[in-house]
Amino acid sequence: MALFPIISNFQYDFVLQLVPVDTDNTMDEVAAAAAHHSVGRRVAPQPGKVIRVRRQGAAEFYPRTARLGTTDIKPMEALEFIFCEA
Amino acid sequence: MPMLERAEWYDIARDTNWTPKYVSPEALFPDVMTGAQGVEMAKWQCYDEPYKTSYPEYVRVQREKDAGAYSVKAALERSNIFASADPGWHSILKAHYGSLAVGEYAAMSGEARMVRFGQAPGMRNMATFGMLDENRHAQLQLYYPHDLVSKDRQFDWAQKAYHTNEWAAIAVRHTLDDLFMARSATETAIMLTFAFETGFTNMQFLGLAADAAETGDYTFASLVSSIQTDESRHAQIGGPALEVLIANGRKAEAQKLVDIAIARTWRLFAILTGPSMDYYTPIEHRKQSFKEFMQEWIVGQFERSLIELGLDLPWYWDKMIAEFEYQHHAYHLGLWYWRKTIWWNPAAGVTPECRAWLEEKYPGWNDTFGKCWDVITDNLLAGREDLTHPETLPVLCNMSQIPICAIPGNGWNVKDYPLEYEGRTYHFNSEVDRWVFEQDPIRYRDHMSLVDRFLAGEIQPPTLAGVLAYMGLSAAEMGDDAHKNAWVDAFRPDPLAKNAAE
Repeated sequence: MALFPIISNFQYDFVLQLVPVDTDNTMDEVAAAAAHHSVGRRVAPQPGKVIRVRRQGAAEFYPRTARLGTTDIKPMEALEFIFCEA
Repeated sequence: MPMLERAEWYDIARDTNWTPKYVSPEALFPDVMTGAQGVEMAKWQCYDEPYKTSYPEYVRVQREKDAGAYSVKAALERSNIFASADPGWHSILKAHYGSLAVGEYAAMSGEARMVRFGQAPGMRNMATFGMLDENRHAQLQLYYPHDLVSKDRQFDWAQKAYHTNEWAAIAVRHTLDDLFMARSATETAIMLTFAFETGFTNMQFLGLAADAAETGDYTFASLVSSIQTDESRHAQIGGPALEVLIANGRKAEAQKLVDIAIARTWRLFAILTGPSMDYYTPIEHRKQSFKEFMQEWIVGQFERSLIELGLDLPWYWDKMIAEFEYQHHAYHLGLWYWRKTIWWNPAAGVTPECRAWLEEKYPGWNDTFGKCWDVITDNLLAGREDLTHPETLPVLCNMSQIPICAIPGNGWNVKDYPLEYEGRTYHFNSEVDRWVFEQDPIRYRDHMSLVDRFLAGEIQPPTLAGVLAYMGLSAAEMGDDAHKNAWVDAFRPDPLAKNAAE
């Protein structure tokens, strides 16, 4: 368990943001932390959709239950948060 | 006694070259300070400044200019122009003074370097006047806002901004340090006077003077006109220096300096002038959009200057022109959303009427930036202003020191441009910002952006409140919406609901 800063590049938002998360967080929890700073602030909510996480430029998303500490994501890496069908 | 015409004695009088006896020419003019790129001093003799003046002429004209500017200020001191001007105009003044006034001292230092280490007598002569110009500009632009501090504390940032760690002040300082505080004489001639002044500030001051007159702020109009006439003279130092470098086989070196300087200057203009023209200026006073202004002056005029000198357009020219469509809209959204972190009150500039104007000037605005403003507007209508303030920091570009941002909504193209260098990851707003870093990594590598400092534990407590304190913003100085969110009333469908909300 350790504080872990990531860069949120949230779909439809205009800016990269610093988001502190934890190595124990699942990808869904990381997505929720990022959404807190974008959705309902500058990005309209999309009810019924889930937010998936991928490395900037990657095609594949990380598994939703994968814990951050078990992935190859580095601190302050830009991650894309994308609205997906549930 | 009959006086000689200036043209009959000027070339002899301004030729202050001499043959050193006690030190070597290299010790007197080290290349690191001259930036002559190995072009020997004799080759600089053909430097021909296009604007020639003598010291008595200079002093006479400057005295008249000062008298003019100060008399307009004195005559209008008791007028209510300031009180009656739109708050958006006040924001333009505050942003302008805070970001440029003390920077004029930096420019004076750069001019002084050309006075001492310029390779051509003509350059040294012109830079002497340029140095005096910049001193005058600093003093004028510190004195004028000082009178307004009693009316509005944010005007104190004309004096204060450069001495703080406020993020926008860091962005300006980082750029000006790069372009003329830490450059040789020749580099300063090219980067300060040719790229920064000829390319941008000279045009900017012309536009600003016209805007001030349109708004009715004749005090500021006369101040800015007074400064602009100096700029248009000393901005001509760089052109002949470029000619000398190109004629002596140093085109690639000259081109690189121009390319770096334009890239960096464009960022500052996008964040300062862009929002001023397209959002802060009341719609009835707008003459043209920022994009139209850039296309007319930078693409239409400056591009020609580059070609005529024998330079190429910067490799990123098309990329920069593409940014005219969106970058300043993104910067504006960031300035407004993180408004507590700046020393002026950004006008949102997004009433239905303003949005129609934006859509006309920038087709697609409603589908991109408008999407973010829709959410913000809905939150304000719902009484949730708390959601229109941030709870975290934006990630800053390690070159411009400005938040990394681009197009939101249905044109979403935001992207980090990272670079690994000596074990550290740097983040950039674009390929161009990253390219600037790569041209001289040692020069830039040790700088810590505000976010880097936050992550390194230099800002305590590590909270947004801690960041605001670190930036030196008191509660009375932090920015707020220029119109206290009154613009959102235009979206209330029912006048009764509007009255109830008041």
